[in-house]
Amino acid sequence: MSAHGPQLSRRGFLSGSLLFVAGAAVGCSTDPTGGSSGARTTLNVWFHAYGEAGSQQAATRYAESFTKAHPDIAVKVTWVPGDYTSKINATLLTDGAPDVFEIGDFSEGMARRGQIAPLDDLYGAARSDFNPGDLAYVTVDGKPHGVKMIDDVMMLYYRRSALDKAGIRPPATFDELVAAARALTTRSGKGLFVGNDGIGDTPLLAVRSNGGDLVTDGKVGFASPQAVEAIAGLKRLHDDQSLLLGFTTDWWDPSALTQDVVPIQWCGLWAMPAIGTALGDDFGVLPWPAFKPGGSPVLRVGGWTSCVNAKGRHVDAAKRFVQWLWIEQTDLQKDFAESYGLHIPPRTSVAASADKLSRGAAKETVELAARYGRSNPSTWDTAVATPFNAAAARIAAGQGDPAQLLADAAAQAQTAVDKQRG
Amino acid sequence: MNATPDTTPDTVPRPARTARTGRPAAPPRGPAPARRPGRADRRAWAAFALLTGPMLIGLGIFKYVAIGWSLLLSLSDAHGSIALGHWVGLDNYRHLLADPAFRSSLVQIVLFTLAVVPVTFAASLGLALLVHRVRRGRAVVRTAFLIPAAVSYVAASLLWKMCLFNGLPAGIANTVGGWFGMAAVPWLQTTDPPLYWIVLVSVRLWLQVGFYMVLFLAGLQAVPHDVHEAAALDGATGLRLLRLITLPLLRNTSVAVLMLQFIAAFQAFDEFYNLFNSGLSGTATAPVQTPLVYLYNTAMGAQDYGLGSAGAFVLTALIVGATLIQGRLTGFGKGEE
Amino acid sequence: MTTDLLRRLRPGARGLLVGLLTAAFLAPFYLILRNALMDARGLTSPRWTWWPAHPHWENFTALFDDPTLHMGQALGNSLLIAGITAPVSTLLASAAGYAFARIPVPGRGVLLALVVATLMIPGSVTFVPTFVVVGSMGGVNTLWGVIAPGLFNPFAVLLFRNFYLRFPAEIEEAGRLDGLGWTGLYRRIALPASGAMLASLGALAFIDSWNSFLWPLVIGQDPSAWTAQIALSTFLTSQTINLPGLFAGAVVTVAPLVAMFLIAQRYIVEGIATSGLKG
Repeated sequence: MSAHGPQLSRRGFLSGSLLFVAGAAVGCSTDPTGGSSGARTTLNVWFHAYGEAGSQQAATRYAESFTKAHPDIAVKVTWVPGDYTSKINATLLTDGAPDVFEIGDFSEGMARRGQIAPLDDLYGAARSDFNPGDLAYVTVDGKPHGVKMIDDVMMLYYRRSALDKAGIRPPATFDELVAAARALTTRSGKGLFVGNDGIGDTPLLAVRSNGGDLVTDGKVGFASPQAVEAIAGLKRLHDDQSLLLGFTTDWWDPSALTQDVVPIQWCGLWAMPAIGTALGDDFGVLPWPAFKPGGSPVLRVGGWTSCVNAKGRHVDAAKRFVQWLWIEQTDLQKDFAESYGLHIPPRTSVAASADKLSRGAAKETVELAARYGRSNPSTWDTAVATPFNAAAARIAAGQGDPAQLLADAAAQAQTAVDKQRG
Repeated sequence: MNATPDTTPDTVPRPARTARTGRPAAPPRGPAPARRPGRADRRAWAAFALLTGPMLIGLGIFKYVAIGWSLLLSLSDAHGSIALGHWVGLDNYRHLLADPAFRSSLVQIVLFTLAVVPVTFAASLGLALLVHRVRRGRAVVRTAFLIPAAVSYVAASLLWKMCLFNGLPAGIANTVGGWFGMAAVPWLQTTDPPLYWIVLVSVRLWLQVGFYMVLFLAGLQAVPHDVHEAAALDGATGLRLLRLITLPLLRNTSVAVLMLQFIAAFQAFDEFYNLFNSGLSGTATAPVQTPLVYLYNTAMGAQDYGLGSAGAFVLTALIVGATLIQGRLTGFGKGEE
Repeated sequence: MTTDLLRRLRPGARGLLVGLLTAAFLAPFYLILRNALMDARGLTSPRWTWWPAHPHWENFTALFDDPTLHMGQALGNSLLIAGITAPVSTLLASAAGYAFARIPVPGRGVLLALVVATLMIPGSVTFVPTFVVVGSMGGVNTLWGVIAPGLFNPFAVLLFRNFYLRFPAEIEEAGRLDGLGWTGLYRRIALPASGAMLASLGALAFIDSWNSFLWPLVIGQDPSAWTAQIALSTFLTSQTINLPGLFAGAVVTVAPLVAMFLIAQRYIVEGIATSGLKG
C-alpha cells in the first residue's frame, strides 16, 4: 500500500522541518497500550457504537477472555460512535488501521481491493452450521472474506392500542400503510416514522416490495419500471404529511415509538427488548407491505460482519481472534446476540438455542425474516447507494421525473459497481 | 472567526507602546550597515534562512507538495489508496462534471452564498452603526454581539437542530409559530417551501455577524469626526449622511468584508454536515449538499481520492477565479507589492 | 427617503432595540445551559420550562463518565492542539515576517511571492491534498497530524511583515551598534515590541484552532485523536442520543472560549480589526 512505502524518508523530512513541534506532539499522541504486560502482540479491534447498554462492556469482556486463552495476544477494543463507514475507510489507509473490524453492509469491493483478508481457512467444520445466506453474503470469488457476527432484522413496529382505537387493521398493502399513516396523523402527532429525513430504508424496501431488485450479478436494476413505480409511490407519504420528520433520535432508536410520539415506526429487532420494557404487550411487528398485488412484503436483513485487515501487522493473530470469538465461542455469540439488544446469531445451532428468539414477537420476526428477509447486495457501498438515495429523496420531494432521476442514478451506480468488480 | 483572510492589508494598527514614539514607516530595507559585504551577506542569509526556514518548509510541504501530489492523483484512479500509477487522464474531471450531485452542489452553494452574504453584510453593518451610536455601555453591547463568534459551528448546529428548529411542537421555532396559529413543521426536512434555508442562514448569521461588525466598527472609528460634523452643518442628516459620507468612507472595509464572507460561505461544510448528517445514513438524503460535503463523501466515504482531488482543483479554480474577478471589479488590492 | 431614521429613533427606542438585540444574541447561551440541566423528558415535553426546578448537574459528570465519548480526553487534546498552534504559528509567522521586512537578501522577493501565492488557495477546500500528504507521513490519527498543517499561516506572515516595515528603524539601529546580528535584533528588539500583535493574532489562532472541524474530522478518526468538536459532533450524529448530555457537551466545549473572549476581548477585537484589515 502506498502509505507504507516512501513513508519513512518523508517522515524524517517532516520531523526535521517541524523541529521540536512534531516531536512534542508525537510524544503526546496516541498510546496503543491497553494490552496486559507480557503480551507480544496487541490487536486493535474496532466496533461501531452499539446503542444497547452493556454491549461495550461485553465486547471488552470477550477480548479479555481471548487474552486469557492466548496470553501472547492482547486486544484493545475501540468503540467508534458516529460516521463509522468514513472513519473506518480513512483509517484503513494508515498505520493506525485496526487489525480486526466489523462492517455493516458487507462490501465485496473491499475484498477485491485486497483490504480484507480471505477467511476460508477459519470456518472448519462449523461451516455447515452457518446460515447459508450469511455465508454466501460474505463470499467473494468463492472465499468467505468475513464472519457474520449477528443478523439484524429491520421491520415495522406498531402500537396495537393506537391502531385499535382508530379502528385500523395492521396494514397488509402499501395502500393500507399510506391510509393508516394518514388516519393516525393528528394535529399533535404524525402517523409513521421511517427516519428523520423521511427516507431511511424506504427506497430499498419500495423496490423490493414491487418485485424489483437493486443489483443483480453486477447489473444495477433500480431503474426498472417496477422500481420507478414503487419509489414514486413513496411521494404519497410525503404529500399526506403523515411522516414524522426531524425527531431528535433517528429510526434505529425506538424512542419515537416508546415516547408516544408516533404509532408506527421502522426499526430493528435489536430494539425489541427496550420496546417491550416500555410498552409491555402493546406492540406488534409487520413487514414492509407489498407495493401492490403481485409484489412481496419485505424485511431488511442487515447485521455486522467481522473482517481482518489484510494489510495489518498481525494478520494471523487477527484471524485467530475472529475464529475464536465469532466461530468457536458459541456461548459468547449467544450472549452478544440476546443479552443486550436482540439479534439473530448466524450459526443455526446458536440461533436455535436462543430462547428469547423462540417466543412472542421475536419469534414472529424470525419467521418473517426467513420468508421475506432480504440483504443488501454486497456491491452496495457508499458510491453505489449515494446516488440511489439522493434520487429517491428528490422523487419523494416531487422534484423531477422519477424515471429520469433513477435512470441517471443507475448509470452512476453502474460505473461504481463496474469499478468495484474491476 | 472562520473566515480565511485571503487579502493583503496595506495598513496595520501599530503596537501600543513603541510605534508612536518612533518615526513613521521606516524604509523597507531597514538598517543595513554592512561593512564587509561578503561576510555580512552570508550572515544575512543565515539569519534569513533561520527565520523564514520553518515557514517556507511548512508551506512547501502542506501547500506546494500537497497540491502537486494531488494534481497527479486527480489524473489517477486512486480508489482506496493514495498511490499514483493508474493513470486515467481526465476521467476524474469528466466524471465529476457529469455528476448531477456535484453540479447541484455548485448551484446550491451559489444560492447559499447569495442568501447568506447580503444578509450578514447588512446585519453586521447595521449592528455596527447601532453600536457606534451607543454612548453608555458600548463595550457590553459589543461583547454581546461578538461573543457568538466564540461558539463553534458544531455547538451552534446542535442547538439549532435539536432545540430551536427541531420538528417537534416543543421546538422553539414551532412554539413561537404556535402562538400565531401555525402548525408544527420539520424545519430541516421541509423542502417545499425550503424552510431549511432559514435554519442554515440564521445559524451562520448568529455566529459571524459579530466578527464583521467589529470590522465595520474599526472602519467607522477611522472616519474622521469633523467630516461628519462638516456634513451635518451642510444639512446632511440620517440616511443621506449615511449614503453620502459614511458608506463611501467604509468602502474598503465593505469590499474586504464581502470578500471574506464570500470565501467563507463558499467553503461551508461544518453546519451542513452537522445539521443533516444522521449517523449511519450519512448525508445522501440531505436536501442540500455543499461542494465540500460532496468532496468529503467522495474522499472519506467512498474512498475515491482521485475524484476527491479533482473536485478540490475544480473548486479552488472557481474560488480563485471569483476572487480575482471580484478584486478586479472593486479595484481591491491595488497598491500591493 | 430623507427622513432621519436613526435620529427619529429616540434614545429610549434605540435603547430598547439594542436591548432586544442583545437579548436575542445571548438567548442561545441561555438555552444551551438550560437544556444541559434538564432531563430528557422535560426537553421534548410541550410544556415550557424557563429553568429546571431541580437542575441535573449530574449530566456533566455523566458526560465525563461515558467511555464512548472520550470527552475528557477530547478536551485535553483540543487544549493541547490550540495551545501549541496559537503560539507556534504566531511565532513562526512573526519570524518570517521580520525577515521578509528587514533582511535584504537576493531572492527575497521571489520567496515572498511564493508565500503570497499560497494565500490564493482557499484553506479548507484543499483538505483532500493535505490529507494525502499528512496521511503519507503517517499523520492520520495522531495529534501532530491535526496540528501540523495549521502551523503555517501565510496571511500572518504578511501582517507581521507590514507591521515590521512600520517599525521605527532607529531603535534597531541602536541595537546594531550594541553588536546585535539580525537574529539578535529580531529576538531582543523586534519580538519584545510585538507583544500586542502576537497576543491578537495568537488569540485568533487559538479560537480558530479550538473551533476548527473539517480537518480534525478528516485526519483524527480514532477516538484518541478526537478534538472536543469531533467528540461533540460524534455525539450529535451517534446512534443513540441523550439530549441533555448533548447540551452538557456543548457547554463544556463552548465555555473555555467564552471565558477567553471575556478575558482577552481587547486583543481579540484588535486581532479581528488587524486581520480583517482596515482602510
